[in-house]
Amino acid sequence: MYRLALNMLFGDRAKLAMLLCGLAFSALLMAQQTSVFFGIMSWTYTPVHNIRARIWVSDPMVEQANDAKPLRDTDLYRVRSVDGVAWAAPLHTSFVQARMQDGNFKLITLIGLDADTFAGAPATLSAGRIEDLRLPNTVIVDEWGAQLMGRPVVGPDGKETTVPLKVGDTFEVNDLEARIVGICKVRRAFTGGPFVYTTYDRTKQYTLGARRTLSFMLVEPQPGVDASALCDRIEADTGLKAWTSDTVIWDWSDRSLARNTFWWFWKNTGIPFSFGTAVALGLFVGIAVSGQTFYSFVLENLKYFAAIKAMGAGMGVIARMLLVQAFTAGLLGFGLGVGMAQAIGRAMIEKGMPPFVMFPQIFWATLALVLGISLVSAVIGIIKVSRVDAATVFRG
Amino acid sequence: MSALSAHSVAVRTRGIDMFFGDGETKVTALKQADFEANRGELVMLVGPSGCGKTTLLSVIAGTLTPQAGTVEVFGQRLDGLGQEELTAFRRKHLGFVFQSFNLIPTLSVLENVMVPLLIQGAAQSVAEAKARAILEKVGLMGREDGRPNALSGGQQQRVAIARALVHEPSLLICDEPTSALDKDTGAQIMQMVRDLSRSPDRCVVVVTHDHRIFRFADRIAEMEDGRIRRVVDDPSQLDATHL
Ligand SMILES: Nc1ncnc2c1ncn2[C@@H]1O[C@H](COP(=O)(O)OP(=O)(O)OP(=O)(O)O)[C@@H](O)[C@H]1O
Ligand SMILES: [Mg+2]
Repeated sequence: MYRLALNMLFGDRAKLAMLLCGLAFSALLMAQQTSVFFGIMSWTYTPVHNIRARIWVSDPMVEQANDAKPLRDTDLYRVRSVDGVAWAAPLHTSFVQARMQDGNFKLITLIGLDADTFAGAPATLSAGRIEDLRLPNTVIVDEWGAQLMGRPVVGPDGKETTVPLKVGDTFEVNDLEARIVGICKVRRAFTGGPFVYTTYDRTKQYTLGARRTLSFMLVEPQPGVDASALCDRIEADTGLKAWTSDTVIWDWSDRSLARNTFWWFWKNTGIPFSFGTAVALGLFVGIAVSGQTFYSFVLENLKYFAAIKAMGAGMGVIARMLLVQAFTAGLLGFGLGVGMAQAIGRAMIEKGMPPFVMFPQIFWATLALVLGISLVSAVIGIIKVSRVDAATVFRG
Repeated sequence: MSALSAHSVAVRTRGIDMFFGDGETKVTALKQADFEANRGELVMLVGPSGCGKTTLLSVIAGTLTPQAGTVEVFGQRLDGLGQEELTAFRRKHLGFVFQSFNLIPTLSVLENVMVPLLIQGAAQSVAEAKARAILEKVGLMGREDGRPNALSGGQQQRVAIARALVHEPSLLICDEPTSALDKDTGAQIMQMVRDLSRSPDRCVVVVTHDHRIFRFADRIAEMEDGRIRRVVDDPSQLDATHL
């Protein structure tokens, strides 16, 4: 009977196409909207991704990763003396104006790395070497920043293009020369413009007037020391705030800098609301469309199920037939929809805009929703079939 | 008819009462309906619209449970059976031919005919072989892979007959099997029903308005206001007004 159930489903190509389109469209909408939403939200904790430290230590008043409150340089020694700390390196972050060669100003995110350890350095450089930062007046910029800060040129065809900055190019920060010795690949941030990496000591010159430049401390626990436990100890010993760097924003770990940043933006900005309504709309339309298409499929087949019931099929068999149809259609529609969402997402990632992060949770949640919709439609169908009097099949 | 022993009775109802709704909207469809059909017989149920033919047929088929009375089909009492037992009973012993054919449009002709066997839990290959054999009998060999909608009305009803008989039921139930067909096709269909179902172990009950097919009946039970008014052996004995 299950084979028959599938043949019933696949028998009408046009209707099947409609049904799958409805389900795929809603799966696409749900996965797409939530992925873009989380993509944008994941930009909020970009620093945690890019810096790659096991533990972050900040001023106790700091609430999230984009919010730097200067620490005292002596704090570094206090942290280093906490039991279980292998090493601690300084990190500076700030927004400063950079003056391009054409005289234009651009807001950049300046990151100062400890010149001894290069703790927090970008994972991949597409040009240059990180060690060259030890040379005087040198910086490394990220690929996207190199593009943003690039020089506009008018080609022979009259079209304006941007020539990205490359190794050897210079610009100025605070009247001081910044010579590019490397281009790195890092994730984009929600706040802030291009990332410009330099050494921690040089940031004192680039941020003229700033008395204290220690924004965060990056801490590596000794082998075998639990990061979260070490955070507790750092906080107890120094009165500073310590964070872990896990980026599982679903985990209710209060130590996670990424999670706190994510939820800080969630609570304190209008982004979740404005995007959230789009997501909710996507979910709503998705549920409505797929529920409606599947339900009308069930309704159309109601009289045939009534006939099958009259011929002596028990409700158990009919229920299973409907469920087989529902889940088959649901899975196919889901596969198509999420496949399309992924393809579109890939294309978006290429362009970098808008960001697209399909967490496994989004994948599974979409699957659960689509199957849930199929299940509900099937159950409504089952109830309908169980309510129709087998005798009604005699009435044309 | 009285010469037949009780043993040869295939269908018997006694004192059937059936109403729908209650209070102001209460409709009495059957009152004290007594009906009998014997093994090997083709009995027709005729009467004016609304007199309760379909309702009585549904009671005999076990798809409606009457408020009062007894139903016996091939020695099995249906009153008192639960839904599941009734379903199992239909699965095993009943074949249906509906006015609107009720063939599943998204399945092939062959698959449609296989349905009763698959409901019984028959293996795919067995069901297929039996379905092919009966399609051959109703003259539709070569059309088994097509869709029912590609066939004419008469051909579709032949598919329905094949489906109703493929599992060799004891009782064949037909409600207005010819009303969607033209005269000649209707006659062909009834001829086929009679030929294929003539067997001492089988009984056929046909509800119809179509006087042109009365000649295929062994007996005709005339209904009026929810009860059997009389039973005649020959259509010419019916009142012309009731036709
Ligand atoms: N499910 C139902 N709910 C309410 N009333 C019903 C129902 N089924 C039948 N009836 C009523 O019972 C009576 C008998 O109906 P039935 O369908 O048995 O008549 P019929 O002889 O088959 O008529 P027709 O020749 O028009 O098919 C009618 O008055 C009808 O309106
Ligand atoms: Mg009727």
